[in-house]
Amino acid sequence: MYTKRIGLTIGMLLCACISMAQELYVNTEPASNMAAKSLGIRLENQGYFKPDFKNRSILEMMYGVNRNLMVHGTAYMSNYYQSKQRFEGASAYAKYRLYSADSVQRHFRMAAFVKAASVNNPIPNQEIALEGDNSGLQGGLVATQLLHKLALSGSVSYLRAFQNRGSYEPLTRNSIGYTLSAGYLMFPKQYTNYEQTNINLYAELLGKTNPGKDQSYLDIAPAVQFIFNSVLRVDLSYRTPLTNRMVRNTQNMYLVRVEYNLFNLFN
Amino acid sequence: MKTLKIFIFLCAVSISAAKAQFIKAELQVSGLTCSMCSKATEKSLRTLPFISDIKPDLNRNLFTITFKANTPVNLEQMSKKVQGAGFSINQLKATLDFDKLKVSNNSFNYAGDTFQVLNGAGKELDGQVAVTVVNKGFAPAAVVKKYNAAANGKSYQLVI
Repeated sequence: MYTKRIGLTIGMLLCACISMAQELYVNTEPASNMAAKSLGIRLENQGYFKPDFKNRSILEMMYGVNRNLMVHGTAYMSNYYQSKQRFEGASAYAKYRLYSADSVQRHFRMAAFVKAASVNNPIPNQEIALEGDNSGLQGGLVATQLLHKLALSGSVSYLRAFQNRGSYEPLTRNSIGYTLSAGYLMFPKQYTNYEQTNINLYAELLGKTNPGKDQSYLDIAPAVQFIFNSVLRVDLSYRTPLTNRMVRNTQNMYLVRVEYNLFNLFN
Repeated sequence: MKTLKIFIFLCAVSISAAKAQFIKAELQVSGLTCSMCSKATEKSLRTLPFISDIKPDLNRNLFTITFKANTPVNLEQMSKKVQGAGFSINQLKATLDFDKLKVSNNSFNYAGDTFQVLNGAGKELDGQVAVTVVNKGFAPAAVVKKYNAAANGKSYQLVI
């Protein structure tokens, strides 16, 4: 009952600030899960050009355990902290769907998620990022509202940094992360078959703040997504700060991703 | 030769049709709009042994399902597959051949499950009739509540 009421409040908040998609967000995760017994494979490259071109490659495997639970396992490799590409570490992520209210072509969902990362990198940054930069834990809540071609989603999470492998101490121990995402199905205007290419547009706000310190940022990350044959997904995104008071890698960062889905793999 | 082939085909159809109590169903799925989501749902449904074909209407999120003639249909499994794909059944309208079912008191047994036609009184239950399942897991909460349908997978409540 309590979760229902929170869900309703967050849902109403989200509806109040209507902007734009579909909910296969590029920079965040929706409250919805993958189909059970299905496997998603992601290959991703992200990076920045200033002061030097640096980039990180990511291999991510996603699996729908059952209708409520999905898990990700991710491996990271980059030249962020040295001149050559090197394997940095891995993270694990789990998301549990707590609440669903479905009706035709719309739904409201809430989910809780946890992420754990273990990496071997020095820590020059104030941002706690479990995507290859920090060892740590993250836990949070996400709510997603789908309204036909528009999908809105918001999340709040707490991040705790640990010492990185190699005895590197974090500059910050605690952080609060928040996101607000909107997505819109541009094409096709009318579906005729599964082979039609879908084009989704996204606008996402990605923020973090380190409590007790004057360290925070809010990025805007526009993204475009192509879905081919209803199984192969290509994501392109670029994030850039609206406000920036935090030393980090993630400002002005591009993202290129290919995702392939295998439905009903283990039946 | 061609005539013979058609003749054999017709025979096969009429023989198998003689056993089919569940003929087809229209399944509307709620909570989705993307074709990737529909594909996941369809692929999940296709793993069921009693489904012979599925035709999707991606704009209305409607799957027209044809059942195999000789394999018992299990509605509970259909609901589980849709939920496993992450969605819910908004409406399941199945076409039954009542001539092949033993109906008494608007109730019949089929493949170990009991079916009750809630609004069957005074209606002729013969020939092909489309029925809507109003149990939990097959209809929106408001419909389930309206018919006060039980959430028991072994006992289904239907309306015409």
